Amino acid sequence: EPLLLAELKPGRPHQFDWKSSCETWSVAFSPDGSWFAWSQGHCIVKLIPWPLEEQFIPKGFEAKSRSSKNETKGRGSPKEKTLDCGQIVWGLAFSPWPSPPSRKLWARHHPQVPDVSCLVLATGLNDGQIKIWEVQTGLLLLNLSGHQDVVRDLSFTPSGSLILVSASRDKTLRIWDLNKHGKQIQVLSGHLQWVYCCSISPDCSMLCSAAGEKSVFLWSMRSYTLIRKLEGHQSSVVSCDFSPDSALLVTASYDTNVIMWDPYTGERLRSLHHTQVDPAMDDSDVHISSLRSVCFSPEGLYLATVADDRLLRIWALELKTPIAFAPMTNGLCCTFFPHGGVIATGTRDGHVQFWTAPRVLSSLKHLCRKALRSFLTTYQVLALPIPKKMKEFLTYRTF
Amino acid sequence: MDGEKKTYGGCEGPDALYVKLILSDGHEFIVKKERALTSGTIKAMLSGPGQFAEKEADEVHFREIPSHVPSKVYALCMCFMYKVRYTNSSTEIPEFPVVPEIALELLMAANFLDC
Repeated sequence: EPLLLAELKPGRPHQFDWKSSCETWSVAFSPDGSWFAWSQGHCIVKLIPWPLEEQFIPKGFEAKSRSSKNETKGRGSPKEKTLDCGQIVWGLAFSPWPSPPSRKLWARHHPQVPDVSCLVLATGLNDGQIKIWEVQTGLLLLNLSGHQDVVRDLSFTPSGSLILVSASRDKTLRIWDLNKHGKQIQVLSGHLQWVYCCSISPDCSMLCSAAGEKSVFLWSMRSYTLIRKLEGHQSSVVSCDFSPDSALLVTASYDTNVIMWDPYTGERLRSLHHTQVDPAMDDSDVHISSLRSVCFSPEGLYLATVADDRLLRIWALELKTPIAFAPMTNGLCCTFFPHGGVIATGTRDGHVQFWTAPRVLSSLKHLCRKALRSFLTTYQVLALPIPKKMKEFLTYRTF
Repeated sequence: MDGEKKTYGGCEGPDALYVKLILSDGHEFIVKKERALTSGTIKAMLSGPGQFAEKEADEVHFREIPSHVPSKVYALCMCFMYKVRYTNSSTEIPEFPVVPEIALELLMAANFLDC
């Protein structure tokens, strides 16, 4: 079961201010795991160095049960940064900060890796603006204008090329080049309702976006054109994530389901139903299992979901029912720590919680699959001279 | 011990600390038994009822795996050590790096060895 490691609440309680709200719409870890960003409502984003300092972690947390979580409010560490964005913050994204070996790897495939040395955080705001902040100093670097409504989600290309994608209630996605002072290089139109989320595949080839009209779009990150539409959800699709090897895509919807897709073929592989844990409860409340967020674990073997039925669920890739539950009220978002072991969640009241995540040693088979699928598409796998069972394994069809 | 040749703990008998893995072209690898047992297949071959002759002396023959791809064999041995080191460990587990060029052959070997 996930154990609650720590809970952080915003410092000074604010007076009710009609211009701001207190929800934590987004949480994020920097890709190298050294920072945590928390949009704690009231237009403020906190940047906290990771790992958290001693004062936030209850002593001997392994022994504590969920009910005796230690809470602490107030003074943070001196290295924390507070970003006052001036409006409600909806979306957050850290730029990748590639370490020297992976820069060489990416440079082979993406010749435009820039010589940038700073880690930045992009914040998506209520009126459509995007503010870009330097993490080390908390300074505002850029203001990107273009969107006409809430910027709900943001995603940087994992290669470190400083291309940013934004998803907005104005029904468009936009592509920005931070190497050129935040120049808007493309507008992606096609969605009919609010775009809730965007995610770029780790191999940087595909962009996924999902919207209120129940559809999920896959775009090419090379040509910025639509590749395909994925139909299947029965209500607004609000969260999406690629597996670490880009071979799988998961989408979460208000229709209580998470669907797992093969992004190369558009096939639906699996549906994860979020039903009542206690069957004695009234069936007519099934709508309260609306999904809010879904994310993959960094080794690619687990999923975490946050739903309106007040549960954080952990799913193993090959099983039909969750392997663990944790109670959480008013959950809105979740994300894994990039090196595994911890899940961060954000709630409507502006709190964040950190939970223990299952630690698993990947089998050599899975490690090989991940290595291969990081550069092979489903069709390339099917063309390999290997036994059928091996193809099924490599394309994640062995459920 | 006759002093002429350095001998290891021995690969025979139930208390053997080491097992010998023999590849299809005769190359032999002596590996600590504890590590080799991370492979489900090797474990079965060493402890299963009767069918495998390997039960007599702790030797396992791999007729399908040649030694001409040393990187693959090396990776397998590294993997055994990695698993023993990090199984049930509470420290952060670094990912075992699999070089893309050998990933397919390594997958075949891993599939056969069930690890």
